[in-house]
Amino acid sequence: MHSQSNKNIYPFWMLLPALAVYTVFTIVPVVISIALSFTDWNIERLYAPEWKGVSNFITLFQDDIFLRSIGNTLIFALFTTVLKTVGGLLLALALYKAFAGSGILRAVFYAPCALSVTVVGVLFKSILANDGLLNYALSMVNLGGLATNWLAEYGTALGSTIVVESWMWAGFNMFIFISALQAVPKDLYEYAEIEGASKTVTFFKITLPLIAPAMTTVVTLSVSGGLKVFDIIYVLTNGGPGFDTQVLSTYTYQSFSLGLLGESSAATVILSLIVVTISFILNRYLVEKEVRL
Amino acid sequence: MEEKKRANPLCVIILVLLALIYFVPVLMMLLGSVKPQYQAARFDLSWPDEFLFTNYAEVIQTGKIWNGYKNSVLITVPATFCAVLFGAMAGICISRRNDGVAKKGYYYFIFGLTITLQIASTFSLLKFLNIYGSYFAVICLFIAIRLPFTIMTFCSFVKGVPREIDEAAIIDGCNPLQLFFRVLMPILKSVTLTNIIISAIDIWNNFMIPLFFLGSSQKWTIPLAVYNFFGRYSREWQHVFAVLTLTIMPMLILFAVLQKYIIGGMTSGAVKG
Repeated sequence: MHSQSNKNIYPFWMLLPALAVYTVFTIVPVVISIALSFTDWNIERLYAPEWKGVSNFITLFQDDIFLRSIGNTLIFALFTTVLKTVGGLLLALALYKAFAGSGILRAVFYAPCALSVTVVGVLFKSILANDGLLNYALSMVNLGGLATNWLAEYGTALGSTIVVESWMWAGFNMFIFISALQAVPKDLYEYAEIEGASKTVTFFKITLPLIAPAMTTVVTLSVSGGLKVFDIIYVLTNGGPGFDTQVLSTYTYQSFSLGLLGESSAATVILSLIVVTISFILNRYLVEKEVRL
Repeated sequence: MEEKKRANPLCVIILVLLALIYFVPVLMMLLGSVKPQYQAARFDLSWPDEFLFTNYAEVIQTGKIWNGYKNSVLITVPATFCAVLFGAMAGICISRRNDGVAKKGYYYFIFGLTITLQIASTFSLLKFLNIYGSYFAVICLFIAIRLPFTIMTFCSFVKGVPREIDEAAIIDGCNPLQLFFRVLMPILKSVTLTNIIISAIDIWNNFMIPLFFLGSSQKWTIPLAVYNFFGRYSREWQHVFAVLTLTIMPMLILFAVLQKYIIGGMTSGAVKG
């Protein structure tokens, strides 16, 4: 009886627009990608791809540049996650209690992630260029010897993109941590103080376990965002110098631009598998840890 | 209590210094946008030798910035509207029906949160449907991308609305449409507003989808216009800075005005999800 009335009150057609758009424009492309990653599909033979088995995948795994971009993707995801999480947590710890000016400071740290990546990217090109603001500042404090063309030198390019990406998103994580920190009951801190617990002990034994769910959210979002990264790399370095900052998304785009649709699809499938697997395992692990804490 | 509100001064000094580091690039951009070319290319914080507001006039003429704004609005407004409307309808339906089919539907949509953009297959799908390069295609892609998050947040917020409200409305003679628009949507105003703001920011700033799937430069959105302008005039930094100012300042002003909603929205979505 109850479910019968439910079906009348919330009819199925309410679901239809979302279902239709989402299926056609998100799910269908995934299915096509999986199917066509096993073919020699290319731009000249758009509608007549031929079955080639796993040869696209073999080609990819024999390609040094592809292996390099898997490595770069993992490095990028790992370091941006650490920087964004630690940076966001430190900012949150400093700013979660209101004081004069704390609102403005929070807004300043948060603002970058409301801006477009291209805008941030172009601005940072002027900062990190050979004759840019950073090198100018370094020479002002007599560290001119450290100056380099940050985005075009082997060795510093990937690090620079990692720092810019973290700069953009640390403030976002700060706000997730702030709302978690504000939810920690104040009397717990008072008990800890009465018991004579040091600040470090209080942090690790009370604060950290209680904000563990926020930690899970932040780490999962940062890792999957880092693995999927495209635009900041594309704007800042476009994979260069050489293939130093080539990640899976830019690799996929380049083979797509060359018209190698089958190979590009195979690379997309591999990237998707990596993102789903790592996000899922990480989330499981962190949620389990939450419970034990 | 009084004591707790005073912050550690050392900590505040560090924070203010850090905030200044965030502010220096913006200052350089603002000053650079009115400098003559030779001075802007030095990338320092010196006072402009002369104020050349003509930089802006030149950029507006050559940079297609207004055209970019027009395109961004044409894409962001309908995409945001449909994403939130469709997402709300689906979210309410899934959360309220709560049967086996609805649960499967929920996971079907949530799966979308982990999906990466399938460049090659989406491209050929759009070609096949004969809508490649149209506003319509890009709007549909944006709706599809925003739906999982919207549905997830609506599902979790509807759970907090007592079912008795729905039942009372039905007894009073509401049909499903009236229940949805007249009764539930007003109650769900906060999550709706949140989703509108997050979706609008995300779509406005998105670079990948217009880059891949909007062929002609006539249809380029603001992020693409900026990127392209930089590519063509990268030696004229005074003009690049002027373009950046024209695109950043409206966003920063909007951000300052809507700060409360943006921040509340982005974080509540992430935490409660």
